Amino acid sequence: MFVCPVVRNTNVRKSGSVCTVIILQCTDSYESHYITHYKQYPPNVSKIYSYFECRRKKGSQFNEVVFFGLQYLLKKYLTGQVITEEKIQEAKVFYQLHFKQAVFDEEGWRKVLEKHDGRLPIRIKAVPEGKIIPRGNVLFTVENTDPSFYWLTNYVETMLVQMWYPITVATISREFKKILAKHLKATSGSLQGLHLKLHDFGYRGVSSQESAALGGAAHLVNFCSTDTVAGLLMAQRYYGCPMAGFSIPAAEHSTIISWGKSREKDAFERVLDEFSSGPVSVVSDSYDIFNACKHIWGDKLKERVMERGQDSCLVIRPDSGDPAETLIEVIKILEECFGCLLNSVGYKVLPSYLRIIQGDGIDLSSVDEILHKLTDEGWSAENVFFGCGSSLLQKLNRDTLSCAFKCSYVETNGKGMDVYKQPVTDPSKVSKRGRLSLRRNSDGLFETVERGAGKPEEDLLVTVFENGCLLQNYSLEEIRKNARLREEEMTPTTHNHKEELLHKHIINGTH
Amino acid sequence: MEHRDADFNILLATDSYKVTHYKQYPPNTSKVYSYFECREKRTDPGKSRKVKYDKTVFYGLQYILHKYLKGKVVTPEKIQEAKEVYREHFQDDVFNEKGWTYILEKYNGHLPIEIKAVPEGSVIPRGNVLFTVESTDPECYWLTNWVETILVQIWYPITVATNSREQKKILAKYLLDTSGNLEGLEYKLHDFGYRGVSSQETAGIGASAHLVNFKGTDTVAGIGVIKKYYGTKDPVPGFSVPAAEHSTITAWGKDHEKDAFEHIIKQFPSVPVSIVSDSYDIYNACEKIWGEDLRGLIESRSADAPLVVRPDSGNPLDTVLKVLEILGKKFPAEENAKGFKVLPPYIRVIQGDGVDINTLQEIVEGMKEHRWSIENVSFGSGGALLQKLTRDLLNCSFKCSYVVTNGLGVNVFKDPVADPNKRSKKGRLSLHRTQSGEFVTLEEGKGDLEEYGADLLHTVFQNGKIVQTYTFDQVRDNAKLKEIAWTPVTM
Repeated sequence: MFVCPVVRNTNVRKSGSVCTVIILQCTDSYESHYITHYKQYPPNVSKIYSYFECRRKKGSQFNEVVFFGLQYLLKKYLTGQVITEEKIQEAKVFYQLHFKQAVFDEEGWRKVLEKHDGRLPIRIKAVPEGKIIPRGNVLFTVENTDPSFYWLTNYVETMLVQMWYPITVATISREFKKILAKHLKATSGSLQGLHLKLHDFGYRGVSSQESAALGGAAHLVNFCSTDTVAGLLMAQRYYGCPMAGFSIPAAEHSTIISWGKSREKDAFERVLDEFSSGPVSVVSDSYDIFNACKHIWGDKLKERVMERGQDSCLVIRPDSGDPAETLIEVIKILEECFGCLLNSVGYKVLPSYLRIIQGDGIDLSSVDEILHKLTDEGWSAENVFFGCGSSLLQKLNRDTLSCAFKCSYVETNGKGMDVYKQPVTDPSKVSKRGRLSLRRNSDGLFETVERGAGKPEEDLLVTVFENGCLLQNYSLEEIRKNARLREEEMTPTTHNHKEELLHKHIINGTH
Repeated sequence: MEHRDADFNILLATDSYKVTHYKQYPPNTSKVYSYFECREKRTDPGKSRKVKYDKTVFYGLQYILHKYLKGKVVTPEKIQEAKEVYREHFQDDVFNEKGWTYILEKYNGHLPIEIKAVPEGSVIPRGNVLFTVESTDPECYWLTNWVETILVQIWYPITVATNSREQKKILAKYLLDTSGNLEGLEYKLHDFGYRGVSSQETAGIGASAHLVNFKGTDTVAGIGVIKKYYGTKDPVPGFSVPAAEHSTITAWGKDHEKDAFEHIIKQFPSVPVSIVSDSYDIYNACEKIWGEDLRGLIESRSADAPLVVRPDSGNPLDTVLKVLEILGKKFPAEENAKGFKVLPPYIRVIQGDGVDINTLQEIVEGMKEHRWSIENVSFGSGGALLQKLTRDLLNCSFKCSYVVTNGLGVNVFKDPVADPNKRSKKGRLSLHRTQSGEFVTLEEGKGDLEEYGADLLHTVFQNGKIVQTYTFDQVRDNAKLKEIAWTPVTM
């Protein structure tokens, strides 16, 4: 019985339970054309080698990506015994109906069962999770380890290409972090509290529970602030982090409006009473955000607000209107009512018992716009937190970072051949050739070496999966370390020379 | 239909802040009543949106109810797990252990809520109530909005089904105009979206939503969802055909594209086969390889087993037109009864790159202008069909509209001064049809009065049990196109 040498505690499927997503069915039908593809490759093919990248695209605002999420997919769907006779039979019946003919490769799958005990004879090499890699570089490779199963490499394409999602969420989340870091540093002199500045509000606005968990975890690579509980559980179960994120008691519209329009003050006061220690957030725009700030918080409940300390601050939440304008007007009203102080770099800060969270209409450009406006008005970024829903977890797609999986090398009749596509009508869709490796060049920059020319000792790709076994187990802690912001990403300079060099290197693809 | 992941815990499937809401409602609140709608959006007349989405397809509630809400969802272990997670997550004990224990003990872990909804598949104008949720036990007033997070995810199947249906309208109109009938309409938009969605679960839900309107899919997961949660009279609700991908072409090497094509086409002589032809040069492939080298092989194929040529790069409209032009020269096109050109039945084209509702409109319009019948083509859509959508597209929203406090019912609402679009409905709601057949939502309990006729919202879920289900056939029937009359989209 084959025993996985390194990672035994994959902590995924509870003993005996069958993975609800049957590997034979988690693939495109036309990948099931794998069900038909096994008939389409050249005769005597013995190896198919493919890779994944976030292709370069002219004009894209994102130069580099955070590699994250593969461990989840491997643990959940690919590790261990994924093929059983029962699953083969179920798939056979299914595909007969779906294609209205017998195209399913029953024999091929049975061989996996017999020869490899239902474990997938493929090898996956990948960049360590959390690493920041420029666009246009190989991020992982997949190849079959047994010549009989050449068709398996691209069979798993569909599932593995879904890597676009955790990669993109982690990348966008990190881009938010860069913007927040720059403003925070510039207007306060430090980065204290950066990891709490962007709160995940996306649970309801994402397409499924599974996406919420994966996207939620991807955000937690960069921040510790979330309401998407599913993400915490994902980080715990697949990345070994007992508690990856935090939240605070907060109101929602129903808990305010249920008191009736004339009792908004009572509703507000209730929150302060029930949660007297620790920060609380109170949505204040149910009827009139400006009235609420000026007359309720700033007057009727003013003393209750002021008696809260820095550790139990009130965080006022607007939730409608133009995000930047509303925030500015709110902060001005609060300044009038509560005053403000100047911090060590000369920016205004509200008293420590009072903060604001803007959780409506937040995306990369609005957050930058808001922070610029605040700076213009002399306010520190310390005053505000941000909540982000759709833009963090849903308003992304595979084209955002041009994620693609392509075959680059095959062996036929014992001979290796570098293969590629090169569509005449779209140069950006050109794929890489041959066996690939990832190295750092003499400038310290990442580059992909094609055509099998890479030196193994320089290759930064690590074998993470082989023949059904998980060979690496990254913790969220390590991943967070790999993904942390670099010095130049936190420095608020107007002209960042080093960054420009890096950008040019990536976009021009100079090797 | 037990298909729940043993790990799933409804106590941990909510936004964190909702854990703290039981302490925030007015004292002596004994009921919280909320509803879901796809809000109308009064847009700036200056900004005209290309596609209006006036009506939405209601779909996907049954999946959520079966998979996540029905039956015994609370156990002592789940309570303990939630307690521990929240203790760390909030660094405080805020979790309502008592409230959940009450549900476990009194209801054997079943949720004391009632959900009333419009029948699945119904096509309803924006701004109407689609479902309501209310607590049925005074102790569990807080439960109504606990399940908001999970229920609001219905935005996704609603939006996929709606957007897919709007594309069906476009295809129907142009197919009718250029061919005189709607034959094959249900196979004109094929789901290519499996790899481009955010998770396996999303793939299943989204693909099933597309199958409300069409029958062609490569996203196998959707079929599983339909079979498990809805059921169809047919063995499967969605079909596909053998097809190549780039790797099965490029693996032969650049100089052997013809060999690849020939090998594949011979593997599948008597069924339709789709072959991606742009690995190197789509136009050369169409003209030289298909049009000359392998012409004989293609011409001998029957109308039931066409070769479907697939371009996959370049500007979608330009590429489709040029491919049709080249193929039309090599495989002489005939004019149909409507005067539009049709390729011989053994060859067709599928455009599966860059297709969204806007480019779809552009392509079919462009084809019509160039006198090509829509019979010649089918479309594949991936990201745009299943992923490039958000809750904001149809303004899907869940809001509390009625509470009972101290025994008195109160109609409640939000009405933010800076955004009239965000105003919510008041009181207990019902959905009716007027004499003229229009849909109307009655607020403030007005639907109780006899004069408005039956409430179209039916109880689907009651205290942990599903009391009304719909088959996928019913869903498809409710969602079928009634109006082929088309309101032109402003380009």
